[in-house]
Amino acid sequence: MVIVTEGLAKHFRRAWSRRLVRAVDGISLEVQPGTAFGLLGPNGSGKTTFVKLLLSVVAPTEGQARLFGRDCRDPQARAPVGYLPENHRFPTYQTGWQMLDFYAALSGVPEPERRRRAGELLELVGLSDWGDVRIGKYSKGMLQRLGLAQALMHRPQLLILDEPSDGVDPLGRRQIRDLLGSLRRDGTTIFLNSHLLGEVELFCDRVAIVSRGRVALEGPLAELTAGSGYRLSAARVTEQARERLRQAATHIAANNGLVDFLFPDRAAANSALDVLRESGAEIESIAAARSTLEEVFLRTVEEAK
Amino acid sequence: MRGPLQMLALVRDTFRESLARKIFWGFLGCSTALILLFVLAVNIDLVEGARAAVTLFGQEVNRGRVMDLDLVTRRILGAVAAFLFTAGLFLAVFAAAGLIPTIFEPGRIELLLSKPVTRTRLLLGRYLGTLGVIAFNMAYLVLGVWLVMGIKTGIWNPSFLLAAALAVFAFAVLLTVTLAVAVVSNSAVLATMVTYFFVLISPLLAQHERIAPLFRRQWARDLTEYLYYLFPKVYDLGNMARLAMEGRAFTTWMPLWSSALFGAVVLAAGLWSFARRDY
Repeated sequence: MVIVTEGLAKHFRRAWSRRLVRAVDGISLEVQPGTAFGLLGPNGSGKTTFVKLLLSVVAPTEGQARLFGRDCRDPQARAPVGYLPENHRFPTYQTGWQMLDFYAALSGVPEPERRRRAGELLELVGLSDWGDVRIGKYSKGMLQRLGLAQALMHRPQLLILDEPSDGVDPLGRRQIRDLLGSLRRDGTTIFLNSHLLGEVELFCDRVAIVSRGRVALEGPLAELTAGSGYRLSAARVTEQARERLRQAATHIAANNGLVDFLFPDRAAANSALDVLRESGAEIESIAAARSTLEEVFLRTVEEAK
Repeated sequence: MRGPLQMLALVRDTFRESLARKIFWGFLGCSTALILLFVLAVNIDLVEGARAAVTLFGQEVNRGRVMDLDLVTRRILGAVAAFLFTAGLFLAVFAAAGLIPTIFEPGRIELLLSKPVTRTRLLLGRYLGTLGVIAFNMAYLVLGVWLVMGIKTGIWNPSFLLAAALAVFAFAVLLTVTLAVAVVSNSAVLATMVTYFFVLISPLLAQHERIAPLFRRQWARDLTEYLYYLFPKVYDLGNMARLAMEGRAFTTWMPLWSSALFGAVVLAAGLWSFARRDY
């Protein structure tokens, strides 16, 4: 396993009110090698604290976390990890080259390799012309791409990204997604902490939804978004046919001249097809029902309240 | 192998930051100005080799008296040593306060801690880098003045270099305070204030034998004595530098080792606190 957490918790008391805050409240997760794992949750749900616990930036109140089988408090456990924090503040006195060189040296990358790798990565993230420019002059999107290059300097086996496309334009976002895709094909495990559900849906194959410091739902993305039943859409549906199907359908809605029906099983959907054809309706589409990640997310967060 | 590489990277990064923040250049400029002052303003006319007439900014400072050249050189170098222990230390503490706490900035510390580097090494690297920036500038000033005076007088007083080493040592001790307070408070201002407190209280506590009897209560007298032995003895270290300049033997080594002990304890406390802090 790349990441294993067992009952990981971080509680703290507010400075003045002394109220106990359970930022992370007993999270147990496993992330397998080669996975693209998405961690979702509303603001303040404990996602970033969870990542900080993994990287030993904060100490757990209870439980434990292991990276590549090592206790996460062991600095060696972080050696194969690349990290891009959410609200990063890279030293503005460094140039792009210097920044990559500095963080790679802290990861133990020797000098000739650092020089070569920095050149490759600056090229890869489209900043090869900006390597000698001080970071203070970079735009938000450029900083994000440089941050990603920094995380890749030591060829990590696990990449932890906290809102990687924050501030990046759609083209840059696509480039980042492509880059992460190629890393994943090479076997890098990616742990993505993002509030952009579309991005997670496009990229991750496993997700966990965190709410109030706990895992409210976790599993393969395909399973979580798989709905039960069949969605049927038809045009020219008569009122009579609609009445006949009202009992069998779990949901009926009119939409731009079409009527959408949701049936609980295949038999009900087939019967409905017969009724609609008899009545002269035109079938637009029929498909197994699926939920979007957004629907799953909203439902899960609502239920967890 | 990773340890020295990380340490070197941290020290180099501190130098880089000091250059970018103009701290390094500010120090270097002040030191260069002082060296130039010695080059241009001090003029020593040799009379019969060992005796001299000294002019400063064209004014004769020995008013026609013939002075011992070695004494003149010692006094001038003594003034530079005094400068190092007063204005030099003040400037150094001020400069260091701008370098140490910056690594605790949110968004920067998380990334540093995510690297496979121990927290002790991370902080020690920053400490050594800051010490290196200041020590380099102090060495530049001292060697510059020493060379100028040596060339002008032909007298090469090695005790001046010892005085400079004592000034760097005093700064190294004070820097542990800056570091520890910055770790605990995350505040550059507070770190500077507390460090200045130790600089300012040092001459007062150095008079503990005179001050303590002035208190009516025994606990106040005891406290004065305890604080004197507990706190870093910047003033006493300055006195040691003066004794060295005058070619006199030290009467005691206590200010040196007790300040070193203070620095070691405060540094250990700072490292201990940093190892347990959440960011």
